[in-house]
Amino acid sequence: MKYDVVIVGSGPAGSVTARFAAEGGAKVLVIERRAEVGVPVFCGEGISRKIDEWKIIEGKRWIAGRMDGARIYSPDKTCVTLRAEQAGNETGYVIYRDIFDQELARSAIKAGATFMMNTQAIGLIKQGDKIIGVRAKRFDGELEIEASIVVGADGVESKIGQWAGINTHLDSKDLETCAQYTLTNIDVKDAYCDFYLGKEIAPGGYIWVFPKGKNVANVGIGILASLSEAGRAKKLLDEFITKDPRMKNGSPIRFLAGAVPVANPVETVRDNLLLIGDAARHVDPITGGGLTHCLEGGKIAGEVIAKAIKARDFSQGFLSEYETRWKEAFGQKIKRNYLVKELMLDMDDKTFNKLAYELKDVKFEEISTHGLVKEVAKHLPISTKLNALIKYRKEIKEIKKK
Amino acid sequence: MGKPKANVDKKICLACGGCISVCPQDAISWIGNKAEVNPEKCISCAICIKTCPIGAIGVEVY
Repeated sequence: MKYDVVIVGSGPAGSVTARFAAEGGAKVLVIERRAEVGVPVFCGEGISRKIDEWKIIEGKRWIAGRMDGARIYSPDKTCVTLRAEQAGNETGYVIYRDIFDQELARSAIKAGATFMMNTQAIGLIKQGDKIIGVRAKRFDGELEIEASIVVGADGVESKIGQWAGINTHLDSKDLETCAQYTLTNIDVKDAYCDFYLGKEIAPGGYIWVFPKGKNVANVGIGILASLSEAGRAKKLLDEFITKDPRMKNGSPIRFLAGAVPVANPVETVRDNLLLIGDAARHVDPITGGGLTHCLEGGKIAGEVIAKAIKARDFSQGFLSEYETRWKEAFGQKIKRNYLVKELMLDMDDKTFNKLAYELKDVKFEEISTHGLVKEVAKHLPISTKLNALIKYRKEIKEIKKK
Repeated sequence: MGKPKANVDKKICLACGGCISVCPQDAISWIGNKAEVNPEKCISCAICIKTCPIGAIGVEVY
């Protein structure tokens, strides 16, 4: 079996890469170890309305509901509200991730890509040091897929990077371990996404309630793996749901576990190889959101791959245009937000309460983590600011330099 | 007495991949779309056990 590109993983990063590579004339194969694209879902299912501008996904079937804003609750339940009307309605959607992923896959197939399900990558094929394809397992048989470029879109648990000599190991302080119910028959009236912070509530993370239409919501938790114990994420989530009066009559129609990298991105390019999406750690370390990066990064990767196929140049040097461009698009943001994540970990519940109290009447002009972080920075106690400056002097300097 | 090693209860595992990503020994892989620990590689550090959001990883003495 011979292709120009083999992409491991049919999530948004894999499918969008496949689409743009195929549109540029490349012969593309996507392999997926599961039996169905987008299933099971591993996601809180919130996405920024930025997605409208990119026109990467068609139709509306993947939209469960729009977001009118967000409420962030500090440990003592002081509420900071971000309203859509203050930001020209720029907030986002709660989506059906399974349909979303399948729409993206459909676009890739329409562009000419081939998808192969139930097919698990088990190693790289190498000629000396040179990567020339992927070895895969399909049911009981093994197959060899030769390709000029291998793309690792194989998620948080990525092995492709490791096999290519890229250190993708995640420290447990750089992973959010998650659990989520989709609860029905609950008393959720508006289209606000709620976030609950606090060391007791969700150490190193948060609990979310994302309404998914009337009286249905994704209620989930992410906690830092380094602050976790066996089963702690689910236990804390269950405690929250038991105490929340809105959820008294609720019943789950779905339960899922999850893992989200909240790390600095890794190297993403080698000769004949790219990493993308969660495999590349393209996730906002504050929110744990990664979908928009998959779309943006996937488009860049696909375009660069198409160029490489035309030029017959698959060297790290040629493919590094991908890394340069994703760094420009969102790499700096991830680096900056990683620092903010570290800083937030040093803050105690008292500081969170104080901040929320000072921000509770602020009219936010920009509903984004950036807008929020800017406002928070203005109100941080001077001692926290100083500590941060001392502790992260080197990193801050590095970010400012660029 | 054998050594205690991490062991995934496949009836509970929801296949999120968290354990695979934090294992410092690359000892956990997908087998039939569930996580499985290779006891030969496991160094009993218990990071995967703590990471599992639903408590699907326990200890098996080999």
